[in-house]
Amino acid sequence: MSDLVFHMVLFTIAGTVLVMAPLLIGRLVRPNLPTDEKDAIYECGEPTIGSSFIQWDLRFYTIALLFIVFDVEVAFFFPWATLYGGTMQLADSQLDAPSRFDLTDKLLNQVPGTSAASGESIASGEAIQLGLLAFSDILVFFGVLLVGFAYVWKRGDLEWVRAAISTSGQRTIPDP
Amino acid sequence: MSLILAAESLAEIINSYAECDASSVAIAAVIHVALIGAFFGLPAGIFIWAERKVSARIQDRLGPTRVGGRFGWLQAVADGAKLVQKEDLCPKDADKPLFRIAPYVVVIASFAAFMFLPFTDGWSAVSLDVGMFLLFAMLSLEVIGVILAGYASGSKWALFGGMREAAQMVSYEIPMSICALIPIVMAGTLNLNEVIHYQSADWIGVIPPFLHWNVFHPVAGPAFIVYFVCATASCKRAPFDLAEAESELVAGFLTEYSGMRWSFFFLAEYASMFLVSAVAAILFLGGWDDGFGIVRALKGNSTNVLDPGVIAGNLLGAGVLMLKASKLVLIQIWVRWTLPRLRIDQVMTTCLKYLLPMSCALFLAAVVYPMALVLGTGRPQILPLSNDVSAEAEMSTSSEVEVERAAADGEVT
Repeated sequence: MSDLVFHMVLFTIAGTVLVMAPLLIGRLVRPNLPTDEKDAIYECGEPTIGSSFIQWDLRFYTIALLFIVFDVEVAFFFPWATLYGGTMQLADSQLDAPSRFDLTDKLLNQVPGTSAASGESIASGEAIQLGLLAFSDILVFFGVLLVGFAYVWKRGDLEWVRAAISTSGQRTIPDP
Repeated sequence: MSLILAAESLAEIINSYAECDASSVAIAAVIHVALIGAFFGLPAGIFIWAERKVSARIQDRLGPTRVGGRFGWLQAVADGAKLVQKEDLCPKDADKPLFRIAPYVVVIASFAAFMFLPFTDGWSAVSLDVGMFLLFAMLSLEVIGVILAGYASGSKWALFGGMREAAQMVSYEIPMSICALIPIVMAGTLNLNEVIHYQSADWIGVIPPFLHWNVFHPVAGPAFIVYFVCATASCKRAPFDLAEAESELVAGFLTEYSGMRWSFFFLAEYASMFLVSAVAAILFLGGWDDGFGIVRALKGNSTNVLDPGVIAGNLLGAGVLMLKASKLVLIQIWVRWTLPRLRIDQVMTTCLKYLLPMSCALFLAAVVYPMALVLGTGRPQILPLSNDVSAEAEMSTSSEVEVERAAADGEVT
C-alpha cells in the first residue's frame, strides 16, 4: 500500500515537472508582448458579447445520473467478476492439482500455499454450486439495472434533441 | 505464486546491495518513473509523426519530408522546439489559475495511469490485485482537465467543447468498462499481468497458443471491437472528436490555448491513445504473449529475474506488447482519416442506444457461456488445458470427476 502511495506521489511530481520544465525554459526564450487584441476572447473576430460564465443547460443531466447508477454497479461487478472467474476455472473437471490449489488460495483470499500445505482445495462440484449462486446473484442485480435502463430509454431521456420529442408527443410517461 | 512483481524484485535487487528497505523502494520508484517517463513521451512523439505521415499518404500527399532526413522523422522535436518559443497567452476574461492548471491535470492523469501497465511479464511499476480498476480510475481523471480547460477559458466555443466532452466521456465510459469486465469475468482477476497469464499457453498438439487469446473467444471477440470503439471515443479521436470539433467549434476546448500549454493536451491525447491500445492488447490480444510460445520457451521454468533466458523472454515480450499496441494506434489513426465525423446527437445515440445494449448483452453472454459449458461438458472452455494434464486427469481422476459431476447435476436438477 505504501508502495502505491509512494509511486502515486512520485508520478504526480514527475508529471508536474514534465509540464513545468518546458514552460520555465520557454519563459527565457519566448516573447511576452500582450496587447488588448491578443488577450481578448476569440469569438470569430467580432467583439465578445457577454461572459461565458453563465447558467448553462446541462443537457446531459439525466445521462449523468444514469452514468452514476451504471458506474456504481460496474464498480460492484469488478469484485464479483474475480470471484465468478475463479469459480468457473475451478469448475473445470480437468484442472490439475497445483492450479487448483493456486485458484483456491486466490478465491478464499488466503496466503499463497495455504491450501497446498493443508491439501484441501475446492472440488469442481463445489465450485459449480458456488458459481450457480454467483450466477443467479448477478442475474438479479443486472436485471434491476436493465429495468431502470429500459425505463429511462422509454421516457426519452437518452435523446439529445429534446424539443422534437416533446412536440411530437412521444413522451407518454409524465415527468414525476 | 510464480509471478514476480517488478516493483518488489527491483526493490529487492537494490536492497541486496544497499540493505535499507525504505531507500531501495524509493530508488526503485525513481527508476520506474524514469523508465515510464520515456515510454510516455517517446511513443507520443512517434505517433504524432506517424499521424502526419499516415494522413498524408491517405490524402495522397507526402507529409513532413525535411526535418531529420528523408522521412521527416524529427518533425515532432522540431515542433516542440518551435512551440517552446511561442508566446504563452492567457485571455483577460479567463479564470487564470484554472486555465493554467488544466494541462497539468490532463498530463498527470494520463501519465499516472501508465504505472499499472505490465510492459512484460512482471514489469509494471505497481503490480496490484486491483490494477485494472485503478488504471481506469486514473484514465477517467483526464476528462476533468478537459472540462476545466473548457470552462476556465472564458470562451463560448471552449465551453461548448468542454460540456460535450463531459457528456461524451460520461456515456462512453460505461460500455468501455463493461467490455473491459468481460476478460476479467473469464480470467477471474483484476491483476493485468495475471489476465495475460490466463491467455498465454503452450502448444497443445497442433493448436497454436494464440487461439487462447481472448479475441478468439466467441464472446470476448465481439467485446474487443466494442471496447476499441469506446476507447477511440474516450481519447476524443475522430470520428468522436466532438470536444475539439475543428469544423464547427473553432477548436473546442483548445480555442484559447496556445504554444506549449496547447501541445500538452496533444501529448496527453497521444499518450492515452497508446495506453488504451496497450490495455486492449493486454485484455484481448494476449499482451506480451507472442502467440507461438517463443516467450514462454525462452523463459522456461526459471523464476530468477536476472536469468539471461528470462531477460531475453521479457525483452521480447515487451517488444511484442509495443508492437500490438502500436498496431492498434495505427488503426485509430487510419480510422480518423477514413471515416466522416459524427454529429453530437449521433455520438450520444451510438453510445447509449447501440454500444451500451451491445456491451450489456455481451456481458450477460460472458456470464452464461462458461456456466452453460460447465454444466454441459464439465469444462468452462472449448480449448483443452494441455497435453499431459488432460491425459493425466483422465487416468487418475476420471471416476472422481464423474462422481462430482453427478453430484453437481443432482444439485442443479
